[in-house]
Amino acid sequence: MLADARAVSGCLMSFRNSIAIITSPRPRVGKTLLARLLTDFHLQEGRPVAAFDLNAGEGTLAQFLPEHVTRSTIDDLKGQMALFDRLMTEDDAAKIVDLGRASFEHFFVLANQFGFAQEATRRGIVPVLLYLMSPDRTSVEAYRGLCSRLPEVMLAPVHNEIFGAAQYGNNKYAPIGSGTVIVRLPLLAANVRKYVERPPFSFADSENAAAFDVDANIELQHWLRRIYREFRELDLRISLTAHRQTPIRQGG
Amino acid sequence: MNYVHPIHILHSECAMSKPAVILIGADKGGVGKTTVARTLLDYFGARHMPARAFDTESPRGTLKRFHPDVTEIVDVTSVADQMKIFDTVGSAEAKVTVIDVRAGLLSSTLQALSDIGFIELGKTGQITLAMFHILGPSIASLEEIAETARFVGDANYFLVKNHINETSFFEWDPTTYKSFFKKIKGAEEITIPKLNEMACEQVEVAGIPYASFVANKNAKGETANYSFVLRGYVRHWLGQVWGEFDRVKLVDLVSPKSEKNIRQVAG
Repeated sequence: MLADARAVSGCLMSFRNSIAIITSPRPRVGKTLLARLLTDFHLQEGRPVAAFDLNAGEGTLAQFLPEHVTRSTIDDLKGQMALFDRLMTEDDAAKIVDLGRASFEHFFVLANQFGFAQEATRRGIVPVLLYLMSPDRTSVEAYRGLCSRLPEVMLAPVHNEIFGAAQYGNNKYAPIGSGTVIVRLPLLAANVRKYVERPPFSFADSENAAAFDVDANIELQHWLRRIYREFRELDLRISLTAHRQTPIRQGG
Repeated sequence: MNYVHPIHILHSECAMSKPAVILIGADKGGVGKTTVARTLLDYFGARHMPARAFDTESPRGTLKRFHPDVTEIVDVTSVADQMKIFDTVGSAEAKVTVIDVRAGLLSSTLQALSDIGFIELGKTGQITLAMFHILGPSIASLEEIAETARFVGDANYFLVKNHINETSFFEWDPTTYKSFFKKIKGAEEITIPKLNEMACEQVEVAGIPYASFVANKNAKGETANYSFVLRGYVRHWLGQVWGEFDRVKLVDLVSPKSEKNIRQVAG
């Protein structure tokens, strides 16, 4: 069993056997952009990846990366089994869930009832919550709620630089301490944005960059290097967390 | 055909420890007696409290299919089987005995227990006798309460509303229900919530205890490949059921304590 092998050697734990849930109860905070980047990061690293899109409407993850993303729903049993059972499959694919406002509460209620984090840990899978911070009360309270509801899950708050530093200032996200991993989503220059915001689009597809003007291409590569560095740091944190078997956020 | 129990034998056995007998019954079939018995066996198992069970659905028992290691099928109307159950209550390794009483046999079983003096032992505190009365959705099942209350009197009485199959209890008039409820002093109500149909069905197909299904184990104790979601539904449901058992302090009720220990604590 893969899980048994991982249990023997904690160093095998990494993004490869993680479930990254990218979420926020607020719309338009950068969830889908981050999910796209993480999916493409895995593809560029040559890792198998399975991404799941729980959003409806325009500009969804599934529209940007149709070949790698499964549209999902948790409104019925069939959809819940298709999503959660697949997430728990020990196949060494990195799993990504783009979880928007519509399914936010229901997803975590089910996760809690099913013993999602405990089961993942038992199987040698690291569940990571990439939470897009925003300064509003709803978001702060939802974050604090998740900290207490899912103590076994590794929380990685995400600072989308487009919103400035105010989003987690004044102790709004109180549990954040010196040991907490904060993933920074760098600000994307306006001259690049126009190229990447029309689906389908993959950052991992080099042919896409050929359509860019030179400045935009340089800007994009610089931007991607920064966010991919953030992901590599997160990967390292996952390995360390799995090795120590202690939640990172307790450091603060 | 009733067996006259030699009460004095149990008296001496009780000096060592206090066994508990839980009767699960209803006069109507299909109200989920065996479901409740299964959750109880899982509950005691999870708390490392040795329990044994008797399935009175002779010759073939549903309870036996799910908990074969601790269940024996008996014909509660036969003296030989009455001896098998009640003569061993004090001496068996398992101090908790769960008896799944077949539909239609509740009143006659209680009558037999009364005749052999077993109910008297419960009343005098030499054994712990508890009754789980599984209610059906009709007013007729309430009338059973009056009938059974006549026998068990002050025994620990639990009225169980079993919603596992989404049984509706709304046809009861609350006033009528309360009037029946009051007939048994100290009776407590237990609610078994609904379980997702497919999850329920999968456990039936697997033919294993609920706790094994949740732990993803097959009948041999090997790792199985049941759906995480279905196991999750059973996990949540079983947690709610056990929460009800905790609420009524079932462990405190049946936990066998020796007289010696009681004396030590007291003095």
